[in-house]
Amino acid sequence: MNYNIDYKELYNTSPCGYFCSLPDGTIIDSNKRFLEFSNYKREEVIHIKKFTDFLSVGGKIYFQTIYAQKLNLTGTVEEINFDFIKKDGTKFPVLINSVEIKNKEGHHIFTQSTVFNISQRKKYETELLIAKKKSEALSNELVLKNKELQIGSELILQQKLQLEKFNQELENKNKQLSNFTHIASHNLRAPVSNLNSLMAFYNESTDTEDKAMLFTKFEIVIDHLTETLNELIASVKIQMDVNIKHDSVTFDAVLSKTMQILEGKILESNAVITSNFSEAPDIEYPKLYLESIILNLLSNSIRYRSPNRIAKIHLATEVNNNEITLIVTDNGLGIDLKKHGHRLFKLNNTFHRHPDSKGVGLFMTKIQIETIGGSIDVESEEEKGTTFTIMLKKKNNYEYPPFNRYY
Amino acid sequence: MLEKLIARNNITIQGDGSKSMLLVHGYGCDQNMWRFVTPQFKKDYKIILIDLVGSGNSDENAYDFEKYSSLDGYADDIVEVCDALDLKNITFVGHSVSAMIGVLANLKRPAIFDKLIMIGPSPRYINDIDYYGGFSQNDIDELIETLESNYLGWSSAMAPAIMGNPEKPELAEELEQSFCQTNPEIAKHFAKVTFLGDNRSDLDKLTTETLILQCNSDVIASIEVGQYVHKHVSNSKFVLLDATGHCPHLSAPKQTIEAMKSYLV
Repeated sequence: MNYNIDYKELYNTSPCGYFCSLPDGTIIDSNKRFLEFSNYKREEVIHIKKFTDFLSVGGKIYFQTIYAQKLNLTGTVEEINFDFIKKDGTKFPVLINSVEIKNKEGHHIFTQSTVFNISQRKKYETELLIAKKKSEALSNELVLKNKELQIGSELILQQKLQLEKFNQELENKNKQLSNFTHIASHNLRAPVSNLNSLMAFYNESTDTEDKAMLFTKFEIVIDHLTETLNELIASVKIQMDVNIKHDSVTFDAVLSKTMQILEGKILESNAVITSNFSEAPDIEYPKLYLESIILNLLSNSIRYRSPNRIAKIHLATEVNNNEITLIVTDNGLGIDLKKHGHRLFKLNNTFHRHPDSKGVGLFMTKIQIETIGGSIDVESEEEKGTTFTIMLKKKNNYEYPPFNRYY
Repeated sequence: MLEKLIARNNITIQGDGSKSMLLVHGYGCDQNMWRFVTPQFKKDYKIILIDLVGSGNSDENAYDFEKYSSLDGYADDIVEVCDALDLKNITFVGHSVSAMIGVLANLKRPAIFDKLIMIGPSPRYINDIDYYGGFSQNDIDELIETLESNYLGWSSAMAPAIMGNPEKPELAEELEQSFCQTNPEIAKHFAKVTFLGDNRSDLDKLTTETLILQCNSDVIASIEVGQYVHKHVSNSKFVLLDATGHCPHLSAPKQTIEAMKSYLV
């Protein structure tokens, strides 16, 4: 059979729209199908309308920034989706393929475009797009939830650590409190018993000059007692601090203060107290601790002096491996370390049948020293004397304990 | 550092003139858009072309959604590129959004710039009180919709080709076809940054000699917008080209080149 194909008819009735436009977009020809799509009459379009006249403003931006640039650079664009505006203002989705037609000189004369109506496909695409957006939103939500969960678990971990920290703090505070009770009773006990000794002297004395002298001693001891009390009160506040406060302390000053507190006992015992702090005259150390340590050791040495000889007590400092050591030596009763060594620094242990023995001093002294990171050693021989060697630790070598274990 | 920047911004250098000209494409395209213009300046200028990060053959991995959420991120890149190449007293040619990127870079480092040529500039696309930008928020939403529907067919398989893969020559052909293709997420983001931005206040600070090239029928940047830029850039010259569309350097390269040359002489 001979099919006489009428190309003009084919052009006009093809199932897609055709139009030709000048480089400035003016449409110079179109087929009937395109007019049908857009509901315009031929005379309303040809030489009147431009390509972009069929586009929304957003579509026009896309046309200028994407479509036109690509067409100009490559001579062809394919499968560009626009919404075309019909004469009545409604829109229909199209896919456009365009090709630049050039003359022999290579100049762009006009553009041929094919327009496919994709209304049906577009509905499906829109559904796909919505589904895609939904799944993206869902995935974002999941990511967010995941993050929230992560943050939540981190929070719980932090809270757990915090609780452990609080627990530790409470434990330490408990220890501090019980230690504080001991130290308070002990440190107050020494000056009070000193006052008693002075009182005995005072009562026994008949000389008015002696009495006057003793009375000034009362004042000094009462002053010290007041000071000790104040410091104990202050130390309750210090307990709230995380770190123990280190002061710049001079050994000489601490010793002379201690000797004043013990004035009565020293007079009573005729003890000879000497010192040599030339190797390390001062130290960064909690003042209250050092005072307490020296008071305890000194009053121990006086208390446990030998009745057979004049008590001699010597205090000295040394520097060993950058660490300051305090050495307290006496010629007193001494302790049988083989017998008592393991209990020496324990609470409520006494080694002498001495009326003043309460068994508290050495326990506290040891705890105070160890709180600052130091250590205490003892050498002793019965009827010869005792030497306490205390490694105090300098502040810069001292690592703070996590909490104030002690005031 | 320089190598990293060359890859990041797909820097290409041609010509051997004593002066330097940096040309930066606008939204939707890449450095290929300068191909009709650059041959005319090669003799007198060293010509530097770049692709903005996220466009053309730039390193897509360098696209940081936070950094490029304002034009400042791009302006920082321009300054970085100029510093790395030791460029001074350059002629900066910026099309469309890159005209504003040029303004920002200029304000950051005036010493780099000798002259500014803006092609189809707009400091703000959305209308405002006492300001005509040409668009409403709704129009930009439509643009984003159009972008989304056109990227439905954008295959992620194209990504490596678009990102550039010099060691695989078989991708070269695909690259040719990928002119002006961009990752859809980046294209959407860049569109929002471009069309929802407002750089009007920056224009008044500009003192560099500036040429404004305006098409007489440009739907993106209307004559009114071009004149607004002219009014607010103190040291500017306004030239109206007898060209339609938003890309006179593509649609009317001869006129564009003539206008640039007569200004630069």
